[in-house]
Parts: sequence; C-alpha cells; structure tokens
Amino acid sequence: MSGQGQVSFRNIVKMHGEFAALKGVNFDIKPGEFFALLGPSGSGKSTTLRILAGLDAPTAGRVLIDDKDVTSTDARDRDIAMVFQSYALYPHMTVAENIAFPLEMARLPKAQIASAVQEAARKVKIDHLLDRKPGQLSGGQQQRCALARAIVRKARLFLLDEPLSNLDAKLRLETRAELKKLQRSLGVTAVYVTHDQEEAMTLADRMAVFMSGEIQQIGTPAEVFARPNSIDIAGFIGNPPMNLVPARYVDGDVIIAGHRLKTTTTTAGKRDVVVGLRPGALRMTEGGLGARVDLIEDLGDTAVLDLDCAGTMIRMRVSDGNIPSEGETISITARPRDIHLFDPTTRMRL
Amino acid sequence: MTAKRLRAIALLAISMVFLLAWAFPIIWSVLNSLKTDSDVLAYPPKLVFSPTLEAYRDVLFGSGSILPNLLSSAIISVGTTIVTMLMAVPAAYALARLRFRGKKFAGFYVLATQMLPPVGIIIPYFLVLRNIGWIDTYQGIILIYLSFSLPFAIWLLVSYFEDIPFEMEEAAYLDGASRLKTLWRIIIPQVRGGIAVTVVFVFLNAWNEFLFAVVLSGNTVRPVTVAMFNFVSVEQTLWAKLAAVSVLAMLPVVVLGVVAQKHIVKGLTVGAVKGGGRR
Repeated sequence: MSGQGQVSFRNIVKMHGEFAALKGVNFDIKPGEFFALLGPSGSGKSTTLRILAGLDAPTAGRVLIDDKDVTSTDARDRDIAMVFQSYALYPHMTVAENIAFPLEMARLPKAQIASAVQEAARKVKIDHLLDRKPGQLSGGQQQRCALARAIVRKARLFLLDEPLSNLDAKLRLETRAELKKLQRSLGVTAVYVTHDQEEAMTLADRMAVFMSGEIQQIGTPAEVFARPNSIDIAGFIGNPPMNLVPARYVDGDVIIAGHRLKTTTTTAGKRDVVVGLRPGALRMTEGGLGARVDLIEDLGDTAVLDLDCAGTMIRMRVSDGNIPSEGETISITARPRDIHLFDPTTRMRL
Repeated sequence: MTAKRLRAIALLAISMVFLLAWAFPIIWSVLNSLKTDSDVLAYPPKLVFSPTLEAYRDVLFGSGSILPNLLSSAIISVGTTIVTMLMAVPAAYALARLRFRGKKFAGFYVLATQMLPPVGIIIPYFLVLRNIGWIDTYQGIILIYLSFSLPFAIWLLVSYFEDIPFEMEEAAYLDGASRLKTLWRIIIPQVRGGIAVTVVFVFLNAWNEFLFAVVLSGNTVRPVTVAMFNFVSVEQTLWAKLAAVSVLAMLPVVVLGVVAQKHIVKGLTVGAVKGGGRR
C-alpha cells in the first residue's frame, strides 16, 4: 500500500455562486476505516467526496491526506481510486482493458499489469468476463468491473459514490456484504457516500451525517442511532425513523396527548419540547398512552403499527404474535431512557 | 388483399419514384459515358448500343487527361479534411467541455459563419489570396475551404462530445490520466462514429466544391469539378467524355460512402437512442 489513507477536512467551504453547498465541514478519517458520508440529496455529501477526490476545488479550507495538504493537488496525483454511481466504465475497452487502465497510466510493466488485472478480477469474481465489453455485462457485473478497476491500483484511498444505487434490491444486499468483506481484506481506507441510512448503518465503522451543507453528527452507527444529535438526524436514521412528537416538558416528565411519561432528565421547569421515540422502543402496557390502531404493515417477523394518539400519529414496531387488530385501542409506554428530548427551535438534542 | 399489404405496395411505389428521380442523372451519366459521341446525340435515345470505353480512355490517357485534376481534387480534399479534423476535434472538445470566457460567443460565431451566402464572400477571398500570392495554389484553396469546413465540422462534433458523460473523464483523471491522454484514450474512441461522419462530410464538401474552385484555381491547381468544363465549349459539348469524367469523379465518393456506411448510420442515430448505445 502506497499510503496510510488518513484524511482530514479543515473548515471546507464550497460556494456555488451565492449558495453554500458546504458551510465549513470538519472531519478526520482514520487509516483503514470504512467511513460513510450519509445525508439526504443536496446535503453536501457528494460535494465533499468530489473535493476529497480533487474533482472539485473548495472555496475555502484545507484537505489533508496523510498529513499532507493536497487542497490544490490534481486529482490524478492524489493516489485515490473511485467507484462512480454510473460506474463510468470505458465502453470501448474490454473488462480487462478497463481494469488495466490505471496501471497503464502508472506505466507499470505489461506482465505486472496482466497479473494484477487477473488478481483484481478474481477478487470480485469477474475473471471469466475479462474479454467482454461493458455493454455485454449485467448491471451487477458492471459494478464489479468498476470495483476491480478501483482496487487494482492499491490506492491509499477508496472512494465510493452511491455504488449500490443502480442495483436491484436483492443484488444490493449481496453486494453490500461483499463490499464490506472486500474492504476488510484489503485493509484500505474507504469513504462511502450514500443517502440510504441502512447502507451506512451496516457498512460503516463511523459515519458523518450531513444536513443542508453541514455535518450534524459524526460517530459510529450505533452511537448515531442511540443518540441522534438533532431532530433532522432523528427523523432520518432508522426504518421507520424515530417518532417526533411535540410535547410539554414539566419537571422531568413529558406530557404527550394528556399522558405523562417519565424521562431521565430531572431538571425542574416547564417548556415545549419535541419528544423522539423509536418505533421499536415502544411497549404495550396497562394504563399507558391510549392509542387507536389505524393501520398495520405486516413485515413477516415484525409489524409496524400506525397509531392515532388523540390526533398525534405514532408508529410502533411490534414482534410477531403480539399484533393487535386494526381499529383496536391499545395502551403504550416507553422507558425513560428511550425518550429523546429535542429543542423545537434550535432542533438540537437537549 | 389486406390494407396492410396495399400500404406496403403504395410505399414501395412511392419510394421507387423517388429513387428513380434520384438515380436518373447517375444512370444517364453511366450510360452516356459508355456511348460514342454520335450515339449520345441520337434521337430518340438509343437504349441498345454497343458499349465502348473510348470516352474513358480519352479522358484518362488522351491529350486533355483529367488525371492531374483528379490528383488536385484528392490533394485538396484530403488536405482540407486532415487540417479540418486536426483543428476541429480539439475545438469541439473545448466547446463541449471547458468553461472559458466568450464560449457562448464562440459557439454562435461558429454557427454564424455557416449562414453567409458563399457568393458574397468570393470576391474578398479572391482579393486576399491574390494579395498574398496564393491564387492557384493548394494552400490557398485549402485555406478558403477551411473557412467553411472547420465551423461545420466543429458544430457537428460538439454534439458527439456532449453526449459523453462527465464522469467518464473524471474516472480517467482519477485513474491517473492527463487531460490529453483522457481525450486520446477515452473520449476520441467513443466519438469515432461522429468523427467518421464528419470526415465523410468534410471530404465530400471539398471534393464536390465548384464555386470557390472555379474562381480561386488556375492552370496549376485545377480540381476535377472545374476541369470538367474543358469538355464544354462554344462549338460543342463532348457529352460522352463529360459523362465519363462525372462517373470517375463520383467513384471516390461512392467508395467512401460504402466504407463509412456503418459508422455514418450509427453516428446519425446516436441522438435518437440516447444512452442506448453507450453502456
């Protein structure tokens, strides 16, 4: 491996005219880490990746790779490999020629190129397709070809821009698992852009969650899931995402639809809050918050209930064998540590 | 007989009429080039005659051989095509890809030059060439041909370059290729259909050109389109020889058309099936 693959973004700003695509982004990626840039479309995650790749220049700020300032280094001199969302395979070249291209550009001897191409193709299981043109491959095979072209060079950084979004659902799950194994076996630093929180949760060692040009939270998937920093993240992570219910905070309790729930907070005082409740953290109980079952989405082993709690919509996940019927009125509650409190004005966690 | 069948026959009949109208001058030329001068003038036209290659022998190897003129035409057309393509490919790429000041104006200018009536600029061209002593020279004629072949080629090529996704180039940069290498190894191979179409059009325009050639050429450089008129004089028109020259002048065009046919059809339909032929 030619480098360690350590990345730092220092106050990166990107302006498109008056519009700030990135408003001062900071993060550090450790060598060998699988780092996801997660966010809805237009949140700045792809711009961040493009700046890291050297395809776009930041308006302000510095990009460091392995402690070296590369902010004004050309893309081709950064020793970075990338898989594009469209794969960007060269249609006039065979699979073998596609994979060999980065090595040819590095002026490696022919024999060395041939064996490296074989090895990379074998790793992604397309070594039987080397003579085909990209147009003769299925979507999944094209994706593997793009992967092979990226890993063949053993670059210090491996960037992936929504690499799974053009695959069908089943293939996406398979490839997701293989991608993780591949990254582990190569030991290379991977930066992965996705809008799919499930992909980020399953793949990433750590992730940065982007919201409108800013990173709102950086952490392991478990940390972000357990303690989302803001209402926006809470509403973005998890499937279905966290219920966000306007409520009144009174001396350590929250009042939702007339019902009192205990929180872990003990601060005295009264204020408006937004209460976050994970669908899976809700329990059925006696004498809890009354809720009418409006709709049941049966997912097989679990079901998601749409509950009407005196006009407030709450979604709840229940396990198989515990499913009430539609129209029934049930009573629900949540443990104090499962109740998240957010400020309705700043939208941040309290 | 079904309505479908009737329509097919009607379509066939209509296309036969068009084909005949289009092919008539060619058939006429081919037939007359094989006749003797007296047979040509026979009335009613002789459909049955003993074909002879005499006209061809005369125009190729006789006293007024057009071989030097065919060579002139070839030098002018090939020269124009090569210089045009060498300049048009990078220019079209730049117009399609790069952002630079005055790009919009440059694009408009390229197209605007196509709208000038050629007759209006012959005299200035003639004066300019005469002043620099380039009348009746290859460089003179090629230079003038460039003035309309270059904008046309650029305009045609830009759309082919624009069809190639940006990501293709970005992938090449990240793979370590320079901009020139990317253009040469990644972009140009993908627009070769468009390049073939452009080459054919530029070559044909130069080969067929008459108006500028008749004014700007002379005794040294006289392309075949101009030389043909040696066979037309006040006293008589040598129809058989004129027809033979026409057929000879058509040959390279036909050969080029057949050779490049596959590329041309592909190149012309690229826009119709956007993305279809790409991956």
